[in-house]
Amino acid sequence: MSFFGLGQGADIDIALDDAATRKQAEIKTDDGRKEKLYLFYDGESLTGRVNVTLKGKKLEHQGIRIEFVGQIELYYDRGNHHEFTSLVKELARPGELTQSTSYPFEFLNVEKPYESYTGANVRLRYFLRVTITKRLTDTVREMDLVVHTLSHYPEVNSSIKMEVGIEDCLHIEFEYNKSKYHLKDVIVGKIYFLLVRIKIKHMELAIIKRETTGSGPNTFNENETIAKYEIMDGAPVRGESIPIRLFLSGYELTPTMRDVNKKFSVRYYLNLVLVDEEERRYFKQQEVTLWRKADKVKKPLQMQRQQMQHFVSPSQNSKPEPSSDE
Amino acid sequence: MPPTQAVASEDQEKLLEEAQQVVKVQAFQMKRSLDKGKLMDGLKNASNMLGELRTSLLSPKGYYELYMSVCDELRHLEQYLLDEYQKGHKIADLYELVQYAGNIVPRLYLLITVGIVYIKAHQSSRKDIMKDLVEMCRGVQHPLRGLFLRNYLLQCTRNYLPDTEQDESDNPETAGGNIEDSIDFILLNFAEMNKLWVRMQHQGHSRDWEKREKERNELRILVGTNLVRLSQLETVDVERYKKDILPEVVEQVVSCRDTIAQEYLMECIIQVFPDEFHLQTLSIFLKACADLNTAVNVKNIIIAMIDRLALFACRDDTAGIPADLKLFDIFSLQIAGIIEARSDMPTEDIVALQVSLINLALKCYQDRVDYIDKVLETTASIFEKLKLELLKNNTAVAKELQRLLKIPVDSYNNILTLLKLEHFVHVVEYLDYEGRKTISAYIVNNAIDNNLPVPSQEQVDQILTLVAPLVKDQPDQPEEEDPEDFAEEQGLMGRFINLLQAEDADQQYLILNTARKHFGVGGNKRIKYTLPPLTFSAFRLAFTYKELGEEDDKWEKKCQKIFTFCHQTITALIKAELAELPLRLFLQGALAAGEIGFENHETVAYEFMSQAFSLYEDEISDSKAQLAAITLIIATFERMSCFGEENHEPLRTQCALAASKLLKKPDQCRGVGVCSHLFWSGRSTESNGEEIHDGKRVAECLKKALRIANQCMDPTVQVQLFVEILNRYIYFYERGNDQITIQVLNQLLDKIREDMPNLEDNDETEQITKHYNNTIDHLRNKQESAEEGPSFEGLAL
Repeated sequence: MSFFGLGQGADIDIALDDAATRKQAEIKTDDGRKEKLYLFYDGESLTGRVNVTLKGKKLEHQGIRIEFVGQIELYYDRGNHHEFTSLVKELARPGELTQSTSYPFEFLNVEKPYESYTGANVRLRYFLRVTITKRLTDTVREMDLVVHTLSHYPEVNSSIKMEVGIEDCLHIEFEYNKSKYHLKDVIVGKIYFLLVRIKIKHMELAIIKRETTGSGPNTFNENETIAKYEIMDGAPVRGESIPIRLFLSGYELTPTMRDVNKKFSVRYYLNLVLVDEEERRYFKQQEVTLWRKADKVKKPLQMQRQQMQHFVSPSQNSKPEPSSDE
Repeated sequence: MPPTQAVASEDQEKLLEEAQQVVKVQAFQMKRSLDKGKLMDGLKNASNMLGELRTSLLSPKGYYELYMSVCDELRHLEQYLLDEYQKGHKIADLYELVQYAGNIVPRLYLLITVGIVYIKAHQSSRKDIMKDLVEMCRGVQHPLRGLFLRNYLLQCTRNYLPDTEQDESDNPETAGGNIEDSIDFILLNFAEMNKLWVRMQHQGHSRDWEKREKERNELRILVGTNLVRLSQLETVDVERYKKDILPEVVEQVVSCRDTIAQEYLMECIIQVFPDEFHLQTLSIFLKACADLNTAVNVKNIIIAMIDRLALFACRDDTAGIPADLKLFDIFSLQIAGIIEARSDMPTEDIVALQVSLINLALKCYQDRVDYIDKVLETTASIFEKLKLELLKNNTAVAKELQRLLKIPVDSYNNILTLLKLEHFVHVVEYLDYEGRKTISAYIVNNAIDNNLPVPSQEQVDQILTLVAPLVKDQPDQPEEEDPEDFAEEQGLMGRFINLLQAEDADQQYLILNTARKHFGVGGNKRIKYTLPPLTFSAFRLAFTYKELGEEDDKWEKKCQKIFTFCHQTITALIKAELAELPLRLFLQGALAAGEIGFENHETVAYEFMSQAFSLYEDEISDSKAQLAAITLIIATFERMSCFGEENHEPLRTQCALAASKLLKKPDQCRGVGVCSHLFWSGRSTESNGEEIHDGKRVAECLKKALRIANQCMDPTVQVQLFVEILNRYIYFYERGNDQITIQVLNQLLDKIREDMPNLEDNDETEQITKHYNNTIDHLRNKQESAEEGPSFEGLAL
């Protein structure tokens, strides 16, 4: 293997100092599989060592460096990666290694402005890259990381309340308790039927993710239904109030991302769909903002309260109504 | 809408079978997963199984069967989760986990199942979970699926609902809830189920409406179970029932405006809650009755309530109706309100309500005759308002009204108590002739059965006014009546007269007069039955006065008045073109007068005898009847001893004359023969009560009889008469009449012996021969015995 000096290879290994204790998080890879990666937050330092293990007796190189990169890859533009962050540390000046060597590295208080994301048309990734520059081919080793962006509790988080309808046919009032939900949140709400003259078969609530890439005429929208959740079976009559309670933590959601580095956005919508007996669909979409909250240790009791959260509305009416609205 | 009801029954079976099969398979896999400890897989299987309950294709019956299978399988899951918990495994996240199920029906069944495990595991979460479950079930608005889902909720929570006044823990975080939470829980579930149930009728095509209503009725128990559950809460007392439960339930029932639901649920309320509760909440309940749909049979509901309370009042093991509770007044008032509010209520239902009111009054307030009367008054005034015509017999209203009227009759079993009901007669008057007659007969029969005397003139007056259809002609009476029925009714009245018995004689006289006035106008057909017993009653009274003679110095005058009364009464019968009956009554009167012996009695007796004679002469023309009549007259006269010779002689003569004037010879012969006794055992005042024993006249009579017998053409009759005359001769001979000798007897015997063999051999002859032989046997006995008395020596036998 070493006829042309090419055999002077080396294995590179990146070891984080806190590898044993650092949390890991799952993320989809671009081929759809899931992998577990070390999880970092904005402002956290990355420290560790790069271990270069020689395969031969010596290794001649033009220098060894480590980079921390944050980049956005648009799938339709494979060649162009947009780096929004790139930090470099020199580990060794050009020279020759005669034995396996370990280099410490340190990126202090690194700014990580965006959340890692793998979507239909776009991917935002962070990684460490070690490069041993050589005359012919560099030896490169990358290590992907996951970044979660944490938000504070939104200062304003009003409920979403709206009356919609088709004249003389259907009037409903729906209400979701918030407009901003964290990823482990519960959507609580209710649908109040003001007028029902169609025969409704069922009603569902869908969470739709809309990924927007590009700009101007080259804007691509990709919609994905993340959750489809039946909230009512059968036909209600005027005066009925139907509860909504949808747990988010079970679904694959990301925080809402708006215009990330002018490259893409990921937005979430709640779609309320009523289906009548002729399979006609009546729907109303409403954007909600998703955000990531720092994990806290849950007390079991709190859990239960959340599990049974109800929407309490002053307009609830439990009086029976004459059955037919015709 | 998928054609739910369009699926034919054979397809139904197939569909059900398929669904059951899926349930079986999924349940099997669920159990296997659970056995392997794979909870998530098990829940998935359970969810698949529950998915079968999402069907719209099954009929309620089929759906029910499917539901039952699924419930059975869910119990495995519940038991597994409980075991897991007891083994210390965490189940805390399950409540959230099952809520990820995408379809609502499986999701809620799982939620309930897990919820129940939570409740069993931590009592403290009970209140929150109960609230949550009952609230979340709102998501199923499909009537059939919603009903069964909520039924599952109700079934699962039974025995686990909090049933204490206070939370078991003071810590609000862990409070398990109290009775109020249970009530709220069930009431909400009830309200929702009722709405779903009522809504069922609007599902699908209107042409299937009837079938659907039938199916809906089959599901009613699901709704009613809520009320049963409420009634099973032990902490619920009257106050709570009155304040928190009944008003809510009733509001729900009234406002659903559905006939089937209203009828069923009101009945349900009556049946499931205890009597003590009902007693304290009657006004609420009855007010609600007034607000029910017009099509609701309110009558049945109220009657059910009354019957239940009446039964309660009669039970031995209870305190009965509290004294401060004006049960009757409440019902009376509310029923009036209901009738007022429901102008289209059928009259028979109105009456039926009154019937139940009467039942209530009788069972709970036995002494309150005024209550019964009040009901009758109300009934009459309702009829008046309705401007009712006479109610035709056999119509529903008439039947119901008769039922109403018979109740006090039957329960009092005392006609005098009945008379205290002033308005009874007013109600009776709304019946047509047949109806009034039936009621009258019913009253009279009851009086006779109970055999209680009617002691005053006023009462007699009232009764006879009340039963007027049996006493006199009615304006609406039909032309023809069945003679047998008529005779039976009038016979009844005759028997009833025997009950008219005052405590003292003067009063009795007044009673008889009153009765006479009523019966007197009864018409020719009726008086035949009524006046004779009245007359006899009068005769009895006269005897009573005789006994009172020592105490009452006017008794003789009074007796005379009585006989005048009797005379008039009997004369009334004559005017009705009757003859034999008044004749007998006159004879009876004559006997009575003679026996009582008051001042002037002889004149009275003579008058009665002579009246009998003139009836005999003027009115009786049939020869057989004549013979019978004259025999009766003679026999009566023979028994009397009150006449002086001055009166005795013409009567005697008249008898003999009448007898000899009979048309047929055999009749003459027999009449004269009977007459002979008048001259022997007749008594006059001159004979001082002794028999007159006029042997000569006796012999003349018998000779005359023989002479007439000789004139008879028919030899058989002739011999028969000879034998009869022979017997009379022997009788008088034995009594010592010296005008009759052995020689006369022998002559007669010879004559018979001579003629007898010539008779044709037939039944009649045999009779005569037997009579003769018996006579001969008698004579032989006399001859042979050594008794005292006339000697039979020389008699040629």
